[in-house]
Amino acid sequence: MFKLDKLGPIRQSLEAIVGPENVRTDEAEILMYSYDAGMARARPEVVLRFTAADQVAPVIKILHAAAIPFVPRLAGTNLSGGTIALKGGAILNLSALKKIHRIDTENRVAVVEPGVVNLELQNALAPFGFFYAPDPASQKVSTIGGNIGENAGGPQCLKYGVTSDNVEKLEVVTPEGEVKTWSYRDPGPDLMSFMIGSEGTLGIVTRAWLKIIKKPEYLQTSAAAFSSLDNAMLAVTKIISSGIVPRALEAMDSVSLEAAGGNSKLSLPNGTEALLIIELDGNDRTRLKETAERIETICAQNSSTYFKTAGTEEERETLWAIRKGAYPAMARLAPNVLVEDGVVPRPKLPEALKETREILSSYKLTASLLFHAGDGNLHPNIIFDGRDMQEVKRVKKAGYEILKSCIRLGGTISGEHGIGVEKRVAMAWLYDPKTLYFFKSLKTAFDPEGLSNPDKILPISVDNRHQVPVAPADLSAGAKTILDELRLRAKSGTKTLVLGSGTKIKASAHKVRPLRLKNLNKLLDLDRENLTVKAEAGIKITELKRQLREQGFALAVPGLEGSLGGTIAAKTFPEIRSLLLGLDIAMADGTALVLGGKTVKNVAGYDAVKLFCGSLGAYGIILSATLKILAADSAGDPRLEPSGEKKALAFEPRDYHYRLKKVLDPENLLNPWIYGGTG
Amino acid sequence: MSKYEINELYGSDSEDRHLKTLLTDLGERTLYDAASQCNRCGYCETVCPTYMLTGRETISARGRNQFVRLLLEGKAKNTGNAAEALNTCLLCGACTSACYAKVPTADIALEGRRSITGYGNSFFSKLAVETLLNAPHIFSIWLKFVYILKYLGLARLAGWLGLYDFLGIPALADAQKAVGKIPLRFASEILKKDPALSARGKTGAAWAYFAPCGPNYIFPEVALATARVLTKHLGEGVFIENSCCGLLANNYGRLEDAREFAKKNILRYEELKASLGDFAVIGDCSSCVAFMKTYEQLFTGDEAWRPRAAAFAKAVKDILEIIPPEKVTSSEKAQSAGIITYHDSCRACHGQGIRYEPRSVLKKLAGQQWRELPESDWCCGGAGAYAFTQSAMSNAILKRKLKNIASTQAKTVVVGATSCLIQINGGLKAAYPTATAIHYSVFLDKFGERIG
Repeated sequence: MFKLDKLGPIRQSLEAIVGPENVRTDEAEILMYSYDAGMARARPEVVLRFTAADQVAPVIKILHAAAIPFVPRLAGTNLSGGTIALKGGAILNLSALKKIHRIDTENRVAVVEPGVVNLELQNALAPFGFFYAPDPASQKVSTIGGNIGENAGGPQCLKYGVTSDNVEKLEVVTPEGEVKTWSYRDPGPDLMSFMIGSEGTLGIVTRAWLKIIKKPEYLQTSAAAFSSLDNAMLAVTKIISSGIVPRALEAMDSVSLEAAGGNSKLSLPNGTEALLIIELDGNDRTRLKETAERIETICAQNSSTYFKTAGTEEERETLWAIRKGAYPAMARLAPNVLVEDGVVPRPKLPEALKETREILSSYKLTASLLFHAGDGNLHPNIIFDGRDMQEVKRVKKAGYEILKSCIRLGGTISGEHGIGVEKRVAMAWLYDPKTLYFFKSLKTAFDPEGLSNPDKILPISVDNRHQVPVAPADLSAGAKTILDELRLRAKSGTKTLVLGSGTKIKASAHKVRPLRLKNLNKLLDLDRENLTVKAEAGIKITELKRQLREQGFALAVPGLEGSLGGTIAAKTFPEIRSLLLGLDIAMADGTALVLGGKTVKNVAGYDAVKLFCGSLGAYGIILSATLKILAADSAGDPRLEPSGEKKALAFEPRDYHYRLKKVLDPENLLNPWIYGGTG
Repeated sequence: MSKYEINELYGSDSEDRHLKTLLTDLGERTLYDAASQCNRCGYCETVCPTYMLTGRETISARGRNQFVRLLLEGKAKNTGNAAEALNTCLLCGACTSACYAKVPTADIALEGRRSITGYGNSFFSKLAVETLLNAPHIFSIWLKFVYILKYLGLARLAGWLGLYDFLGIPALADAQKAVGKIPLRFASEILKKDPALSARGKTGAAWAYFAPCGPNYIFPEVALATARVLTKHLGEGVFIENSCCGLLANNYGRLEDAREFAKKNILRYEELKASLGDFAVIGDCSSCVAFMKTYEQLFTGDEAWRPRAAAFAKAVKDILEIIPPEKVTSSEKAQSAGIITYHDSCRACHGQGIRYEPRSVLKKLAGQQWRELPESDWCCGGAGAYAFTQSAMSNAILKRKLKNIASTQAKTVVVGATSCLIQINGGLKAAYPTATAIHYSVFLDKFGERIG
């Protein structure tokens, strides 16, 4: 904690930038910024309110020079304690930065400041017939800056992706006060995407270029009731794996239904245990109708007891009112509601739900289950009274048990709410110490002094007594050979040229020892129900696409030349960012790193997967990748043959690229010429 | 009582100046339980005008709730620190409308205010409230004196003499700026003498008109219009010859005085009821009406008065909700009102949930000339004395309202509360002089005809 005298000398210069009335240290302001929507509490020492985006960088420079920690904050609605100033210091109140700079429907981009409320943006886009895809439940109040910080999702992200799939470019003030503008299309590692979901620990977004989408002409919303949750979840898996991509696929259990009055509003049959709400969108009415009929058939095959498609806008609104009314109804039953946020691969939903229910009943807690079924994202809403310490303890314990169960089932601990401070401890259950150390080193590369939202996301001290045994990375024989070889080379300091299929770099071009990944060309895992594929990096894209086609699946990547790993590492198709769920990486020293996984949503830890997009093999070697695929039924889906290969742009590494290189490959052993070594 | 240990915000000697319990949407609650029902989701923030204009948690709905809670929990030590947070509350209640659990933030903020040392204790406000309570005729004389000074072009002299403060209703100070005409005969004086509105000789009445201070002292034409509209649409009725409803005393720290006002009105109601049977008590200032609908809350610690207050509150109705849309038809004259829009007075839409009825009536009367006002349920910044006590914030809020009005190109803005009438007209006069705000009753009186 810094003392007031640390602020004293810089107070005047801060006041000169933001105005004296916006540098507040009075007791009231401090108290009012010591909480957010979560349960953690800590007092900042000063609250700085910004009235123009260009005030941020000079203020950060001053705070950095004075070694005062800072936490960017907007609406303060996050559910994980992310905006709490754990080390005191300054709260950067960015809420007044709420300009919508530009709405460009031709280039399909909206340029906004971080304080713009999600719904305000939607309202501004509506007259043009456009929308911004992420639609978190809090969209009435949560801001774009906060949505970026937490990588927010929402019901619609099943079809349109989460925040990180919908950002084009970011202007960022680094923890040292420099202004950077990064796009995921920039040559080299994707620093922009790496910022998303970093909860303000890597820098502060001051301007965002967001992807906007033309509103589909028609919506078709249906409700299906089941007498068992298991059957409902089976139907979910079947719907998705049959190639249907709903705009939203939401599920409610009987407690939620009861609370929201769903049983009587829809006259559901007695004994209803689960309700699915399935919404389709598109511009072809007949097709939508057909799809809704297919959904009805699938539900019937899984013993649905009720199915109804909304015939009017009014009926549609009734369905959503039931879904959206569930949380409010719970919020009336007790002073506090804890919304858990675990994620599992979709086919594991029945098991996850069963375990969640057992945990809740063993801790004698009342909760409703309410979730984004299509994404495998579970939101048990546990009600309690935050003043009852015993009850709070039980709620916390139950919450942790639920997260552990998600981890055991191959899932993760947060789909969209973030880690903040409240789930920090669970990071050590999900990741081994090596991966945590890796995350820590990434943070240090961006924020060497540890001033930007300190002590968030990563556990302070690693306590792996509670580590949930996760299956060790099942690396293929080929991958193990690569790791062995790298270890040997690292010992002798031999530099490596990473060679995929040889379409991008020729072995003769550099005087370093090639390492060929050509034989790393197997399809490792095709999960038909989860719609994911895991394949080794050396497999050619055309070959991967062919094999998938044979099995009745498709990959939304154009028929590129070159290998899977090469395509990712050279970023020849930047949109691959939306398909990429996980990577196995061989680091320069021969250790393996498992990043991401099979879940569609994952905001646990830094999105390091993105750093390897465009890393050109200089940060680590991609051994295998897990990607989202489509069922071939989606034929005619324009996403199947997206516009072709882009020529990789010439990459000139700059400051932050070097910083990361220093952390990831300090000896400059991999593709050394990129970062100035001759090899 | 709460099962948790909490700080006392006040000593037992000032219990009379506080509410015993709050009557919330979820039932009767202690202050601590009511404030703790807020789980800090923040959904109220984007409807809170003071938060939206500043982005400061400290002057937001959630912040105000938390502040009172922190005081109760002893985590905030000094009530005085809460002054800015609590005094900037418009008491508009938009937060409660947005809240899933309907946490009564305005009531919680008021309870907090009452804990601030010295709040409501100023000599002048005490004296004025007491005069209004015990000797309304003397209050009238002072007020007329102020009005005469204004009439003679000596308004500044009145200001200089501190007369507005003396009257304890600082909104009146603004009224003298914003109101063009000044009444020298108050509505109650006129209505009292109207034999048609007298209770004498009547054995029943459909309604009793309650004249709130605004229509009574500042806009008698509104009160007279309301009486005519009620007669036209509901048949025979009476003037209740009421006292002030007590809202100002309630909001400015004099809760025990507010109870006295309430008792006077309840007694008067009971007296009339004995001879007239059941009738609706209809007022034409939504702030006062909304407050009277919550009279029961004033007496949660008083078993004798509580049921009587509840019975009174049940009879209270707002002029905005009482005229059935299907019974109204437009007269030709409505053309002259130009484009018509409606501003939801906070205490009508948030305080009483009245949105549909006045809109339906106005839409019917306005026909093609109707325009929906964007953000119509955003406070105008008037909020009783707020425009005076927090003038900078009030102006900023007003500016947004005026921008929205301008976007409709309205000539006529219909409102339902005195404070809105003063505030919006003051703003329009300066920024957008082709438009005027008029009271719902006046509009109906001019342009509405009864069907059948």
